[in-house]
Amino acid sequence: MAEIRIKNLHKEFGVGDDKVVALEDVNLDISGHSFVSIVGPSGCGKSTLLNILTGIETPTNGTVEITSDGHVAAPGYVFQAARLLPWRTVTDNLLFVQEDRSEGTKERCQRYLEMVQLGDKGDKFPGELSGGMQQRVGIARAFSIEPDVLFMDEPFSHLDAITARALRRELHHMWDETKKMVVFVTHDVGEAVELSNRILVFAKGGRLEDDIQIDLPFPRDPADDEVAVAKAHVLRKFEELDLLAS
Amino acid sequence: MTTTETDSATTETPPAARVTEEELARKARRSELTSRWFWRILSYVAVLAIWEFALLDIFSFLRGSPLDPKLLPGPSEVVATFFEIWGEGTMPAAFQATLTRIAVGFGLSFLIGAMIGILMQSKWFEGFFKDAVLISLSAPGLIWVLITAIIFGNRPLGPTIAIILTTFALVTVNVSEGIRALPKDLIDMAKSFQVNVFKRNRQIVIPHLAPYLFTGLRFGFSIAWKVTVLTEVFSSSAGIGFEMRISAVLFDMSEFLTWILAFFFFALFLEKVVLEAIERRYFRWRQAVTAT
Ligand SMILES: Nc1ncnc2c1ncn2[C@@H]1O[C@H](COP(=O)(O)OP(=O)(O)O)[C@@H](O)[C@H]1O
Ligand SMILES: [Mg+2]
Repeated sequence: MAEIRIKNLHKEFGVGDDKVVALEDVNLDISGHSFVSIVGPSGCGKSTLLNILTGIETPTNGTVEITSDGHVAAPGYVFQAARLLPWRTVTDNLLFVQEDRSEGTKERCQRYLEMVQLGDKGDKFPGELSGGMQQRVGIARAFSIEPDVLFMDEPFSHLDAITARALRRELHHMWDETKKMVVFVTHDVGEAVELSNRILVFAKGGRLEDDIQIDLPFPRDPADDEVAVAKAHVLRKFEELDLLAS
Repeated sequence: MTTTETDSATTETPPAARVTEEELARKARRSELTSRWFWRILSYVAVLAIWEFALLDIFSFLRGSPLDPKLLPGPSEVVATFFEIWGEGTMPAAFQATLTRIAVGFGLSFLIGAMIGILMQSKWFEGFFKDAVLISLSAPGLIWVLITAIIFGNRPLGPTIAIILTTFALVTVNVSEGIRALPKDLIDMAKSFQVNVFKRNRQIVIPHLAPYLFTGLRFGFSIAWKVTVLTEVFSSSAGIGFEMRISAVLFDMSEFLTWILAFFFFALFLEKVVLEAIERRYFRWRQAVTAT
């Protein structure tokens, strides 16, 4: 079981007049089989938080700890843009993040490419694929290492509605089956309510403002009353924060 | 594995249509290429024909041909001389001497240029090297050729230094630009997936820098061979430039032109065939990027 512990996390960029506070005194624990969505206006530090959790950025102050059964957890990261190596084929892009190149590893990569409907595109270069296809390769890459925790930063925001819907369902299945933890950044409250059992609301200035549990059964239909109520509740929180900010 | 294979075998029928489409596109590309080469070669044929024609003694009203064959022999004579010289065995030796000079000089220049490009990422070294790079880029190669010829006479150090001074900056500029454009987002991605630093360098930094290095190589080479031949004309006792000087001194125009043409075709071959083949082979992904 994975566990995330964030204590007094503070992050600033730049110095002097250019100083920007991206995260301010964030305290947070996430454990077990959670699907946590992080929502909030743009610039409120969502991406920065994921970057710190995955080791790309270091905190200015405070600590973060991600463990899985006592050892350091392996994170998978899906970025807002695909971030593929343009000089490697699709298959080699997946192999790039693997620990070995054994037959078993190759088969696993192929399996995840098929999951995102790109089983026959392994030999293509990213430049030969559409933007949506590239994003799906990025998703397959994160899944293919079978991570302890999967971090996703607005992964579906550039996809067409139908593909996004299919992938959302796929993501939910994977989460349900593997019992892994997912930390999911989105600005689409509907998407957050549909997928998660916990929603964290961040406000401008990088403060964690609200922590909402959603204990409705899956699959969740947006037309369902309870789901609609939950969505309205989160949206109201949002509006309150907006009022506070202005 | 077997299941995926049978899978792809059963779905093989629809791509058949695509294959023919691809084949058509390839055919169109090939015929365009052929016609482009046709016109390219035609320009050589035209120039050679006019040249040969101008030497014919048919312009009686001009009292002889417009060009004096003693001063400018025709292509047919040059070709004959070419085979004569080739038979004597001086040509491979001269090419070898010149090529060795280019390889040593430009090899060193490439290393030095790349090193300076890396150093220039620091502000202090940038200040230190900035003007040197600018001067090397803008000063005509002839200056360095003359200076090194005066200083070093026909010692091999002369051409080497002339090549370095004229070409290192091209490599420096390209390497600097490449380093400044390092794809931070990809490096961050690799870090987050815990890819170690060696693999990151091998699979991200080096492939990213390769096209920049290659551009430096191409431009640098196109200058290096001209400078090399020029240094051989002024100093040195072997190589193509040296042979040109000897035939010019002996007033053997036919031989002089033979050397010029031989080297021209040789350089053309290296730049157009060898370097372009390397580019096609190693930078296929770039074509994929530009195609979409
Ligand atoms: N590398 C960086 N350098 C300087 N400022 C940054 C950097 N990354 C993020 N920021 C700033 O930190 C704040 C939070 O950014 P980010 O985490 O990307 O927000 P979000 O993902 O919620 O839209 C923004 O004001 C942004 O400008
Ligand atoms: Mg963001």
